[in-house]
Amino acid sequence: MARAFLREQDRYVGLLESTERIVLQGLMQQTRLLLSPEIEPTGDAFDDLVATMGLSLSAADQEPSAAKDGAAEADSSSFAERDPALDRLLPTAHRGDDQIAAEFRRLTEEGLRQRKSGNLDVALECVEQAVGNRVVLDETQAPAFLMALTDVRLLLGERMGMRTEEDAEALHDAMDDIDDDDPLGYAMAWYDFLTWLQETLTQALMGTDLRDVVAAYDDDLEDDSDDEGPRDGSV
Amino acid sequence: MTAPTLSLAPVEQEVTSTDEVVAPDVPWVTIVWNDPVNLMTYVTWVFETYFGYARAKAEKLMMDVHVKGRAVVSNGARETMERDAEALQGYGLWATFEKDS
Repeated sequence: MARAFLREQDRYVGLLESTERIVLQGLMQQTRLLLSPEIEPTGDAFDDLVATMGLSLSAADQEPSAAKDGAAEADSSSFAERDPALDRLLPTAHRGDDQIAAEFRRLTEEGLRQRKSGNLDVALECVEQAVGNRVVLDETQAPAFLMALTDVRLLLGERMGMRTEEDAEALHDAMDDIDDDDPLGYAMAWYDFLTWLQETLTQALMGTDLRDVVAAYDDDLEDDSDDEGPRDGSV
Repeated sequence: MTAPTLSLAPVEQEVTSTDEVVAPDVPWVTIVWNDPVNLMTYVTWVFETYFGYARAKAEKLMMDVHVKGRAVVSNGARETMERDAEALQGYGLWATFEKDS
């Protein structure tokens, strides 16, 4: 059973079971891959320019050079056109003037991809270096971890079709009578888990003493521990 | 934003056209739009962390985003607004910039 991030002196410590760490790492790796395809320069200026827009002209370019694991396959088919999740992670910055928006994207997208990828790298390393179940973040790792969680949840939300508040409500409502083996239910359970995790880390960073809230929440989770969901495997 | 109870209209409202002739020194604004993923606490933390806004101001802006669907979070020269929008997108917020109308 996971425990919320809490402040311990100058560190933020959360407890994540092995299954939870593995899923979290997998989702972070997928998000990192989407944000930074790490396409090698082709020598063709136009191809390289297009590549930085998240597009690729040749099949060879779709192999990330520094892919960390099999998560690479998840998005390899989606480079034919801009993945809609990218529009969520790197949204249009001007509504109403496409030219301004395109110019902004040209100037900022690569930098944003690098920053977001950097955050995910930090977060991945923190999870990887967990001692036992303890995931420990220092003052600079904690914000990176928060931003990484945000991007993972944005990607997961987009994949589940959660684009408006109404979508989110409808998805949560649908969970009441969803089939046990429906992948959407699985995805939603992990989404909710990450939401909870991010909420606790944010509040720890903001100095809210969450111990009472956490105790109540953990009690609730334990009461629900008979429910189906990915958490069960790690309790 | 993810919130306990409130439900909101979709965020894809029309933005006022910026075609009209305006003085070159009219400031630009950075806008943060509501979305169903970002957490209310996190958005508050971003406003505090990036802008250095006090808790009360950060919370007020966050609630504006949440209740009204969008909030102007900063204003100034276009270059500054572009920098703010870029930074806020780095945090995962749905940030845009436009000429103040």
